[in-house]
Amino acid sequence: MPVINTHDPERQEIVSRRTFLFGGSVSLLFVGVAGRLYQLQIADFDKYKDLAQDNQFNRRVLTPLRGEIIDRFGNALASNRKNFRILLVPEQSRDIDATLDKISKYIPVTDEKRARIIREIRRRGAFTPVEIKNNLSWSDFSRVNFELPHLAGVLPDVGETRDYPLSEASAFVIGYVGPVTDRDLAAQEDNDDRTLLRQPGFKVGRDGLERTYEKELRGQAGKMNVKINAHGRVIEELTDEATPPVQGKTLTLTIDAELQQAAMKELEGESAAAVVMDTVTGDILVLASTPAFNPNDFNIGIDAKIWKELTESPYKPLLNKPLSGVYPPGSTFKVISAIAAQAAGVKPSQTAHCRGKIWYGNRFFHCWKRGGHGTVDMKGAIKHSCDIYFYEIAKKLEVDVLADAARKFGLGQTYELGVPGQKKGIVPDREWKRQYFAGQPENQPWFQGETLSVIIGQGYVTSTPLQLCVMAARIASGRAVRPRLVRAVGDLVLPEPTSPLIDVDHDYLNVVRAGMNAVTNEYGTAARSRLEDPNWQLAGKTGTSQVYRITAEDRAKGLAKPEDLPWERRDHALFVCYMPYENPRYACSVVIEHGIGGARAAGPKAREIMRAVAAKDPASRQPIDPRNLVQRATAKREG
Amino acid sequence: MSSLILPGRQRGVRERLAQLHWPLIILLTMIAGVGVITLYSVAEGNWRPWSMRHGLRYLIALSVLIVIGMVAIRHWMALSYPIYFAALLALAATPFIGEVNMGARRWIEFGGMQFQPSEAMKIGLVMALARYYHGLRAEQVSHILYLIPPALMIGAPVGLVFIQPDLGTALLLAATGIIIVFVAGLSWRIGMIGVASAVAAGYSAYRFEFLKTYQVERILTFLNPDRDPLGQGYHLLQSKIALGSGGLDGKGFMNGTQSQLKFLPEMQTDFIFTIFGEEFGFVGAVGLLILYLAVILTGLSIAMSAKSHFARLAVIGVVATFALYVLINTGMVMGLAPVVGVPLPLVSYGGTVMLTIMAGFGLVMSAHVHRDQDVLRSSDLL
Repeated sequence: MPVINTHDPERQEIVSRRTFLFGGSVSLLFVGVAGRLYQLQIADFDKYKDLAQDNQFNRRVLTPLRGEIIDRFGNALASNRKNFRILLVPEQSRDIDATLDKISKYIPVTDEKRARIIREIRRRGAFTPVEIKNNLSWSDFSRVNFELPHLAGVLPDVGETRDYPLSEASAFVIGYVGPVTDRDLAAQEDNDDRTLLRQPGFKVGRDGLERTYEKELRGQAGKMNVKINAHGRVIEELTDEATPPVQGKTLTLTIDAELQQAAMKELEGESAAAVVMDTVTGDILVLASTPAFNPNDFNIGIDAKIWKELTESPYKPLLNKPLSGVYPPGSTFKVISAIAAQAAGVKPSQTAHCRGKIWYGNRFFHCWKRGGHGTVDMKGAIKHSCDIYFYEIAKKLEVDVLADAARKFGLGQTYELGVPGQKKGIVPDREWKRQYFAGQPENQPWFQGETLSVIIGQGYVTSTPLQLCVMAARIASGRAVRPRLVRAVGDLVLPEPTSPLIDVDHDYLNVVRAGMNAVTNEYGTAARSRLEDPNWQLAGKTGTSQVYRITAEDRAKGLAKPEDLPWERRDHALFVCYMPYENPRYACSVVIEHGIGGARAAGPKAREIMRAVAAKDPASRQPIDPRNLVQRATAKREG
Repeated sequence: MSSLILPGRQRGVRERLAQLHWPLIILLTMIAGVGVITLYSVAEGNWRPWSMRHGLRYLIALSVLIVIGMVAIRHWMALSYPIYFAALLALAATPFIGEVNMGARRWIEFGGMQFQPSEAMKIGLVMALARYYHGLRAEQVSHILYLIPPALMIGAPVGLVFIQPDLGTALLLAATGIIIVFVAGLSWRIGMIGVASAVAAGYSAYRFEFLKTYQVERILTFLNPDRDPLGQGYHLLQSKIALGSGGLDGKGFMNGTQSQLKFLPEMQTDFIFTIFGEEFGFVGAVGLLILYLAVILTGLSIAMSAKSHFARLAVIGVVATFALYVLINTGMVMGLAPVVGVPLPLVSYGGTVMLTIMAGFGLVMSAHVHRDQDVLRSSDLL
């Protein structure tokens, strides 16, 4: 048999080459491992250091109480109440499904709810307790407590939840709180804030003042570090370094809860808005919108059925109508028109003869009164809301003069109230039209016929109920009153604003005021809305803004009266007013969607609201000092 | 069995002791020392239950290494097939007489001692393959007929270990075997085909559920660690947190908070690199990696200087096993490889693995001490 010489140079050479290759590959892989080490230990060190801290020290966050929101007299609009709830610490429960099965023997856990819980656990990680159920009755709560030894990972807890005692009545002013979303977490710059937001059942402001003043209302989390091991067992409580939580600041509003509720009741059944403000301070006493949602429903996670009803209702219960509802002002705008006319040189004594319609351009413009008003001067035109009088003025009136007056008296702008979603409305002028029709040059020039529409509050011009109330307040006071909703944040009382006089000849205003007085007190369009009390003479202006124009065809079908139209095509009813006529103090606006006529639908509501306002004067002029309130609370705690 | 031996110089024990590769021994001892101090720390500053025994076992294993190293390489070559077949037999018998431990039959009782045939196979396979290629000419290596024996030699133990089931060891054996076949000179073309079919086999293993649920879980968890934070991925995440929070210079000896607070499982075995890395930081961990790499490169240089083909391939096989251990373990605790339960050689607590490694390095040592001896064989031996 041949003997193989193992000195096979070819074989040896291959092995040497391959060994080098192998050694090189292994070395490269080691470099890779070292690179990974670099990434973990050097590049991402900060991240893992934080994670390790979180692991080792369970920062027991002591959740602060949310700041209260109170009305001008200290009545609670948003407060906190006890909430019995059941939490689950995923990490301490070996089998989450089994635990949930057991729990559902005592308190029902729907499949939907279960899916939500599992999602939460995924999102928040194993160490953060997740809410299984809140707002438990005492008997359910104690039953779960009794069974606790058999429920690994289940943690009973007495938390706090937001409570809105006025429910619907305060919905749009206060807004509501809701569960924390991923976006909220991402928006937090501070790590501690993030931890606080991760607390089970923690809520943040979702809308209204709750949202705008989230930072002030949230308060400061207390902290207590506990050292834990991997099983979540507390090894040591580090009480020396513990800091107690600080309740959020109290928000004191200008709202009068009692009047707010009265106004809501007055508007019940309508899709409507009402605003009442102090013409001197700008304090908003009432900001009512009907129908409204119940913010307490949102607080505990809104039911799908309720949500569907809210979103699908034609009465738009989710729309904050006083601030976000936009309506043509209709004839209420004539107070502006009268001022603009005088500014353009029209004498209030100048008359026009109303025959019910005039021809202008290529069509007839009708007065609301088919038979005509006969000869009217400016005061009479306001009193009877004569359209022809203003059409005659509009033929020669520059629209920019009209727009200027509208802006001076508060239209076309938003106000710093702290409630999101405020609309600006439109005050049309030449420049506005140019920009609005930027793509259609043929539509850009202003046509005088359009001024005829705008001067009676139709056409392009739109406004919100808040703006209309501001308008009434400015007519009444002659000052550029700005509305405000928040009187104090914590013990910082915001200074009462002093409003500058409006830059117009105040004789013009007197004509308008006299006209408005005549509307209610001299058998004008809103004679029915007169207040009998001689100390509280109400001066107002009606408005009816067209939603649908009844055509000749409709008339042929016998559709003559607005009541014949379906609800959503009926005209809006508006009313603006202030009182007392001499030495005014309060202004009010009411808009009833599709209420048909300002005089018959909106006026009486405004009158009743103003009656309630008058009844509370002069107490309304002396709101509480929130600083005293804070001291009182402190004294109580110390005592 | 008769071997023809080309006369090298016969040397006395003392002379051979002096010829031991002492730098290699020092490197191995330093690594084992890292194990001793880390196990001391894991036990929260106690020599028990692991640290002391680890040190003692190392000393025993070191003497085994020296004894093996002093026996001439030709004797080990002669014993290659017997050792391989004995290990294979033990492996085959394990399902019937083995102890069930954590859902797998891996251990058998042997004279009052627990013994893991799959560990012996790690050495046996290396020796058998080296022995086989020792007898082949260069042009035979890539011949398809001559590939059948090594394929069976690798396939049989891999299959037996796989059904135990011990995926980690099965993969390790397969990888080691393939590396030897490759270094022995397998043509690239056949290598590529092999890789392609391995991928196909892996896919079908997954597709047709050859793998136990926990094995599939481990692989899937590796591919996406966030999918089950409380299970497998949780351990990996905790391991990364512990390592990462160690930073540049570590939290200091006995101050590894993550480890000490028991956030990690199996700290004394699979995750010991994490503890070391947390306490000694990037500097320490890279230092340890350098020690390992030094051992590997030393081993490869020994392989290159050995005269006999058997010695060269056997040494490379041992080094490859060692390197795979280190890479898989460190990769595993840092999320670069699946959590397959491979210990960190000489640092993780565990007697059998340490003995296997040190016995393997005994072969390396023998190859070094007897590097000038070439071994001829008659072809009828095969």
